[in-house]
Amino acid sequence: MNEVALDSFDVSVARVDKAQVKLDVQELDFYYGKTHSLKGVSIPFSEKKVTALIGPSGCGKSTLLRTLNRMYALYPGQRATGRIMLDGEDILRPGVNLSMLRARIGMVFQKPTPFPMSIFDNVAFGVKLYENLSKAEMADRVEESLRRAALWDEVKDQLNSSGLGLSGGQQQRLCVARGIAVKPEILLLDEPTSALDPISSAKLEETVTQLKADYTIVIVTHNLGQAARVSDFTGFMYLGELVEFGETASMFTRPVTKRASDYITGRFG
Amino acid sequence: MTEVAMTAAAQPQAATDQRRVAPKGSGLEVAFEYVCFAAATLLLAALGGVLVSLLIGGWPAFAHFGVSFFTSSTWDPVNDEFGVAGPIVGTVVTSLLALLLAVPTAFGVAFFLVELCPGPLKRPIGTAVELLAGIPSIVYGMWGLFVFAPVFSKFVQLPLMTAAPPGSIWEKFTQGVPNGTGILAASIILAVMVLPFIAATMRELLNTVPAQVRESAYGLGATTGEVVMKVTLPYVRRGVIGAIMLGLGRALGETMAVTFIIGNSHGFPKSLFDAGSTIASTIANEFAEAAPGLHTASLIASGLVLFIITFIVLALARMMLGRQRSV
Amino acid sequence: MAISAARIASRRVANGAFVAFCYIVTFVALSFLTAILWTLLQKGLGGVNIDVFTMSTPAAGSRGGLLNAIIGSVMLCFYAMVIALTVGILAGTWLAEYAGNSRYGTVVRFLNDVLLSAPSILIGLFVWEVMVANLLHHFSGWAGSVALGLIAIPVIARTTEDVMRLQPTALRESGIALGTPFWSVIRSVLWRSAASGILTGALLAFARISGETAPLLFTALNNQFTSLDMGREMANLPVVMFNYALSAYEDLQRLAWVAALIVSMSVLGITIIARFVSREQKRT
Repeated sequence: MNEVALDSFDVSVARVDKAQVKLDVQELDFYYGKTHSLKGVSIPFSEKKVTALIGPSGCGKSTLLRTLNRMYALYPGQRATGRIMLDGEDILRPGVNLSMLRARIGMVFQKPTPFPMSIFDNVAFGVKLYENLSKAEMADRVEESLRRAALWDEVKDQLNSSGLGLSGGQQQRLCVARGIAVKPEILLLDEPTSALDPISSAKLEETVTQLKADYTIVIVTHNLGQAARVSDFTGFMYLGELVEFGETASMFTRPVTKRASDYITGRFG
Repeated sequence: MTEVAMTAAAQPQAATDQRRVAPKGSGLEVAFEYVCFAAATLLLAALGGVLVSLLIGGWPAFAHFGVSFFTSSTWDPVNDEFGVAGPIVGTVVTSLLALLLAVPTAFGVAFFLVELCPGPLKRPIGTAVELLAGIPSIVYGMWGLFVFAPVFSKFVQLPLMTAAPPGSIWEKFTQGVPNGTGILAASIILAVMVLPFIAATMRELLNTVPAQVRESAYGLGATTGEVVMKVTLPYVRRGVIGAIMLGLGRALGETMAVTFIIGNSHGFPKSLFDAGSTIASTIANEFAEAAPGLHTASLIASGLVLFIITFIVLALARMMLGRQRSV
Repeated sequence: MAISAARIASRRVANGAFVAFCYIVTFVALSFLTAILWTLLQKGLGGVNIDVFTMSTPAAGSRGGLLNAIIGSVMLCFYAMVIALTVGILAGTWLAEYAGNSRYGTVVRFLNDVLLSAPSILIGLFVWEVMVANLLHHFSGWAGSVALGLIAIPVIARTTEDVMRLQPTALRESGIALGTPFWSVIRSVLWRSAASGILTGALLAFARISGETAPLLFTALNNQFTSLDMGREMANLPVVMFNYALSAYEDLQRLAWVAALIVSMSVLGITIIARFVSREQKRT
């Protein structure tokens, strides 16, 4: 590995095709009350590619993820300034319909959160909010989503049993199915395998790789190996700043900044 | 590795967007929040309503009697002369006496359950104590009158009265008719009623002390008694005071357990075996037949006095306890 | 440091006294419980016969039972719970989901806890003044239900808030992330997973109000006959107990004990069911 001399980094150095950018974060600042958690973050998320966000605990990667679907709007005292352009429109401006936004951007959480209802109803939950499908169409949509989430074969005979009865890995894939059933354009995954055993994690990573054919995916992970396996682009964050960003292959073999290099080689964690 | 069978590839985004409508229920979002807010405000209004209605209903009595309402112990419905001093004294004395009896007992029960009770007995005895707390207070009152009073009169009142040396202070405290009723009898029944409640609260408090704290004390060679009195109890001191005050608040407002056995006389009780009355028992006994006018107003006014006393005690208890028990 | 033998001995004596005190006191407390239960069973069961469940409350000297009182108590408590569940669950939901750390929320919580332990006879007075004296000008079963409902509301609001707060934040956010309106998240997701906790609270509240006498004394009063009319005086077990126990007639007193047995057994039964439900919920 080369010795690097750069301490700072300009995101434009990364080779990103402007036409391919689905979600463009520009000069994003985020505040929890008085605490300044994200500092001038600018990062592009390319269409139908997987972008990983890595960094030590507290670096702001989950915070960044949660601004993308404006989840922070639930909590007074949390605010964001800057611009996030989705297909050319700023989603941070007031007046954006949050429900419709969240129909286009889906989210899967660290802890599997099946709703207290049957597997079928779990997957159909979001769809029922927005679309009036016939019974047959709904059944098709549920099956399609469960297949994409690599869960169909395991649950096709028990669609009416409670979602809470599945194993941890299955519950997480159920949450993925639920999220993609509404046909979003973007999927946000917040450390989706950190609560799962290795076999379930591997299955979920496989699912992510196959999903990127149809969705733009942003995945937060503290597992460097996972980031290397699954993503096309990686952003390294530290103390609220985007320190480095680039194609995963080159970032992991030839990081440009010293800090990224230190993190990736394990000099700090 | 399982193969994931892919059905038709995702349709172009435009088609999905056109099929989407605003999510069902978006319009009712604000309405629902207001309904919930209204329910919470109704709660507040109920408490405020109690205070206001007591004030309005009792005002004629305050206006008519002035300060003497609180100091006089005359209670004469015929001549419309009312003074609430007797019931106030009765309320305070029975409640304090009841606590005096109940608190050490409740401590003992709680300590027993937490430190001394053998494992398999813990659940049944603990449940038994909680169930005791659920028995309606009127049952305590009935039991007090029919079962406790005869026993009390025969084995406690009579012996104490005959044994008291004439002219001594003991004689003063044991005067009265030994029929099993009176201030002391009512206090005992009240104590039995309040006991399971304080014991259950105390037990929960003691269980919040981390195991390591107790183990450190035992590790230093302390005996059970020393661990409890010198380490565990001080650890939850604030909660304990809150639990006692909560018990006091309940005792002050208790009606049925007391009415049956306190004797219902309106004057100042002068001995432990004298009949007396509490504010709650007076209202319970007289309100349904009270003539509208000063009699009713005086009863309501005494209710206001009770409200103020219990509110202060319960508010203090809440501040000490935080949010411990639900019921 | 020389360890004084006398010191150790005195500590041991003190500990012995403490332990003995705890044992004795627990024994005394349990004896009282046993005595009360024994009396209930003995006096209550002794008076149970078919008349109790088929005839109305009698005047002294004639045959009778508790039918009207049982029906009345059930109806009064039922409507009281309807009121209490509606207001209580909504208020508890507001406190858990919308109030946050606001000043107003803190005040409501505080006063709710005070109302929880407030003397029930004062609630009766309040309802008397508003409903009986000024609104209706006569006693009424509705007034009784309102009074009982007011006693139950704080219990349900408190348990609802506690159990809603226990739901994981991620569950809430999952619903939001799908774009669901917040109130739908509460309705379809949160209330459902909090259901058994809310049920436990409801059962405990029901047990509490079924034994309350004081608030009924001047709202629903009592009724000699079997009546389903909530708009007038309503018979109920607690007031029957109060009147008959204090009467001078043995047969009426016997009926009072039967009523006491019925009420106590229902309260104990409901409490046991409630604890069972809550233990089942904790297991999942």
